[in-house]
Amino acid sequence: MDLAGVLLTVAIASFFAGAPLSLIRRDLGYLTTFGAALLFGAVAVDALLFGPVRGAAWGGPLGDVETLSLDALSAFFALATSVVWAATSVYSVWYDDRPSPVLAVTYALTLGAIALLVTASSEVLFLIGWETMTLASYGMILEARGRTDRVYSAAFVFLAFGEASTLLVLLAFAGLFVGTGSLAFGPTLSGTVLPSLVFVAGLLGFGLKMGTAPFHMSEWLPIAHSSAPSNASAVLSSTLTLAGAYGLFRLVSLLPGPPDWWGALTLAIGAISVLLGALFAAVSEHSKGLPAYSTIENNGLILVALGVSLLAGANHLTLLAVFALFAAFYQALAHALAKTVLFLSAGYVEHLTRTFDLSSVEGRATGPDRAALVGTLAASLSLAAGPPLAGFVSEWMVLEALFQSYRFGETWAQFVGLLTGAAVALGAGLITVAMVKFVGFAYLWKPRCARAPSERGSLGPVVGAVAFAVLTVGITAPWILVLLAPSVSVVMGSSVAAPIGGLLSVPNGWSILSGAPFGILSPPMVPIAIAAGVLVAVGYDRLGRHRAVRRVPVWMAGSAPAREGETYTSFGYSTGIRLMMSSALRTREVRANAGAITTVGFEAVEPYSVELEVFDVFKLFYDGLLVVGEGVSRVLKERVMPGQLGRYLAYVLVAVLVVVVYIASVST
Amino acid sequence: MTSRPWSESLRGPAGALGTEHAPAYLPIDRAFALVNDYGTGRALLWRGPAPAEANEVATLWRRAAEAPRPHRVAPEEVVEGYGVFTFPYGPISMGVPESGRFDVRTYGERILTLGPVAGFKSRRILGALPGLTPEDALLRVERLAGNFSAAHAAAFLAAVESAAAIEVARTELWTRALAQELERIYNHLHQIARVAEAASQNVGLAQTHALAEEMLRIEGRTFGHRWLFGALAPGAPTRRLDPEGRRWLGRALRELSGRFEVLLELFLGSRTFVDRLQTTGVVSRERAVRWGAVGPVLRATGVAWDDRLRAPSVPYTDLFLELPREDGGDALARILVRAHEVRSSALLLEQLLDRWPGDAMAREAPAPPVGPGRGLGRVESPSGDLVYEVRLTNGRIASVGMRSASHANWPVFAESLRHAVFTDFHFAWESFGLVFAETDA
Repeated sequence: MDLAGVLLTVAIASFFAGAPLSLIRRDLGYLTTFGAALLFGAVAVDALLFGPVRGAAWGGPLGDVETLSLDALSAFFALATSVVWAATSVYSVWYDDRPSPVLAVTYALTLGAIALLVTASSEVLFLIGWETMTLASYGMILEARGRTDRVYSAAFVFLAFGEASTLLVLLAFAGLFVGTGSLAFGPTLSGTVLPSLVFVAGLLGFGLKMGTAPFHMSEWLPIAHSSAPSNASAVLSSTLTLAGAYGLFRLVSLLPGPPDWWGALTLAIGAISVLLGALFAAVSEHSKGLPAYSTIENNGLILVALGVSLLAGANHLTLLAVFALFAAFYQALAHALAKTVLFLSAGYVEHLTRTFDLSSVEGRATGPDRAALVGTLAASLSLAAGPPLAGFVSEWMVLEALFQSYRFGETWAQFVGLLTGAAVALGAGLITVAMVKFVGFAYLWKPRCARAPSERGSLGPVVGAVAFAVLTVGITAPWILVLLAPSVSVVMGSSVAAPIGGLLSVPNGWSILSGAPFGILSPPMVPIAIAAGVLVAVGYDRLGRHRAVRRVPVWMAGSAPAREGETYTSFGYSTGIRLMMSSALRTREVRANAGAITTVGFEAVEPYSVELEVFDVFKLFYDGLLVVGEGVSRVLKERVMPGQLGRYLAYVLVAVLVVVVYIASVST
Repeated sequence: MTSRPWSESLRGPAGALGTEHAPAYLPIDRAFALVNDYGTGRALLWRGPAPAEANEVATLWRRAAEAPRPHRVAPEEVVEGYGVFTFPYGPISMGVPESGRFDVRTYGERILTLGPVAGFKSRRILGALPGLTPEDALLRVERLAGNFSAAHAAAFLAAVESAAAIEVARTELWTRALAQELERIYNHLHQIARVAEAASQNVGLAQTHALAEEMLRIEGRTFGHRWLFGALAPGAPTRRLDPEGRRWLGRALRELSGRFEVLLELFLGSRTFVDRLQTTGVVSRERAVRWGAVGPVLRATGVAWDDRLRAPSVPYTDLFLELPREDGGDALARILVRAHEVRSSALLLEQLLDRWPGDAMAREAPAPPVGPGRGLGRVESPSGDLVYEVRLTNGRIASVGMRSASHANWPVFAESLRHAVFTDFHFAWESFGLVFAETDA
């Protein structure tokens, strides 16, 4: 074990050590996780640049060796999560003013669990981390403020879906073990039927954690993630879903060359998630529900990129498969960073204005809040795919990969690619509405009101720092891809080079190539071009003569509203989408206390209230599931387990007999 | 004036809804009762016996004129709900050519209730009339709402003549009818052009505009003023329409209405145009009658009611009037009524020109005064029933009250847009043909 290995072990131990330290003093716990995150990130960079790092090792249950290690694949995820954790840990020191240390303890445990599962060298260790992560996150969500029944129900929903996910992952790993005879992540599975079963179980299991999966998970992820405390929301939405993505990539790296329907299935699930995630984000009025829906959209994009990669692999289009995989990794990174900013920012706004309701947030960022505003603006722009930010590059890469679906051999595969492309493009449009709404109504809107200044200092620097990372990752995208090349190589199973190059006067290595030849984008040149334009404008301004500024009062319609309730609400902003997409959203208007119509000459209608409701059609699936589940339980309870001692004794007897017969048959 | 209780006069004609052509006769006191006193908001919701002064129509008008500005001209309705807010549209806006505001209560995109707010272009014209001679007052009344100047002048003059018991030259009455029918054709063309603009029917818009401009030139050549200012006078005509001029006018109108027929056919053949108007801004027949709608709005709901037919004055008593009627109650029905009225007005004009009174000295008695020195004038303006009440003392104006088609139709308009989407607004608005100039007199 070299120095890096020792540091890795120390980092993971420190995450867990944060839990008991939080009992002594909360800030101490958060600072410990902050330090651990820095250390973890440093080791990850080391692993990415100089090869795998091996930490502590011990004997496993089947005589094999368990280690904490980082290969290139896990190092990428370790790096992405550690950046997020460094920010959320600092934020938590400011944010967590609860009397009990439970949030701090569960926070540290969640971080440790994710770090453990990312570094796990075997399925058992991974599952331990996975399950600890679920349970600790459950604890974090229970710490949420708000109505107790809602919090309990959100936490329960999270636990239920988390356990369903664990069950499916367990199935996938069992398949791996049956096929390879090893619990370690190493040997590749072979065969035809078994890999497919493992893949489907893994796709569903890890997809559940990512909020995707065949049935759009708007019933759980947004509820659970938005109900949690803000630092927990950021950890859940940015890094817990990253853990799901990591698991999926790890699984794919252990499977043989894919048949084409794997890719098509992944594409379909991804496309549905992108579309519905974006749609529900656009109509969400909750300042944390909106980013949570956006998480589904972004994880859908990861699946779409992975799907293209699998389909391309099945069609022996190695170049496209590699490019799509780069897109998936880059998308995961871009989303994790930007989403962290959004959740921290939503928590910040909630702290200042005491509301999660975008329609009731009032005020305009001033003073030190400006940094938070600029940071939030940058992150939202990134999620809305605005150049030169990371989200723009990732969206471009995903779409470029989809554009090349004409290369697939089968017509149906081309068609699936085509439809997915349309869904992704529509999703990108809808998510722009959502992001404009988030920034506009959380930060820019509503000129009137006095907001109480924060008594605990501004959060601008933290939010701003992560947003700066979003910008940096976007501008330096080609070099990030170079850094990612070893990780992609792990999944591809062979050494691959980053898809970068040069064109015209752009230096070699400054541009991303999406095919040979197909599309090209040079992220570093975007800010250079913008800066050149700004330079021209500023120069013109300086050289120009005296600029006369005329200030006049605005008249009526243009001025600040005279009366309460005369400004556009965030709800009104997205009602257009509610009505346009009414078939998908099942929009309906509900009226309450519409009194009797009284007639005196003219008609005068009693005051009434009106609600425009949207409905998630997939809820019907879960409602149905609930009915079936309850029915089966009732039958079991009444027929099989009626509480009669004699019955149970009979069951025991039958079980013993079966075991005896089985052992007898096996031994002979 | 009637001595019936106020609340009863608001209730409308008995049995009005039961008959096919209801109401056969809209009593004149009801027309006054519909003066919108929304500035104080009480005319609407008055229950039980009214205050003593309620019978004095002038009091109501005065109170409306003194209403705080801006003020709503349709009943206010309270709608609350998550995300519901008031969206102030105007008073300066792209679509509405006048200063006026609409308070749109909405949760975005859909109009829950619409509150037209008038008073932004209030010029206090009527308030400044007392003390003037009728001739001087006429100059102002003509300019109250330019598009309807002949209608306002005719109604005002009829009221003055009734109050002062002046006999009127028959030629002057025919001239008034001529001016009003020309004005009607222009207004309907103008309104159809506005709807075409809202529906982005650019060729149709240009063609209809050209016809409307043609109409203005015809008016200008016939009366010396494109907006018919100075065309009418109390008692006797100021301008003689010679046979040559009548022949030219007849030819010009035949040519114009021929062109309009072609255009109308093209409009109705345009699917996008018709689709956009159909089921937009629907007014039910029951509501139109109960809320006292007038003009094309009322006729588009299937009620054949027109001052020229139901409360006719010379020369309409002697003319054949084909009264268009539609049943849809939507923007399309209103536009169709207007389009067909272009035809019916052309027919009226033909009759007027053919049977122009030769006897320059013949005079007609005015309508009897409704009180001492107090007269009523009532005409069918292009947008509907227009009523003037004038009191004279010593040959000078003592007070003037006016109830225009816009007054009557504002609440119906506001109601018709309930639950419509924002984009329906302009189609409904243009098909109603309401003007703030009348309410902001």
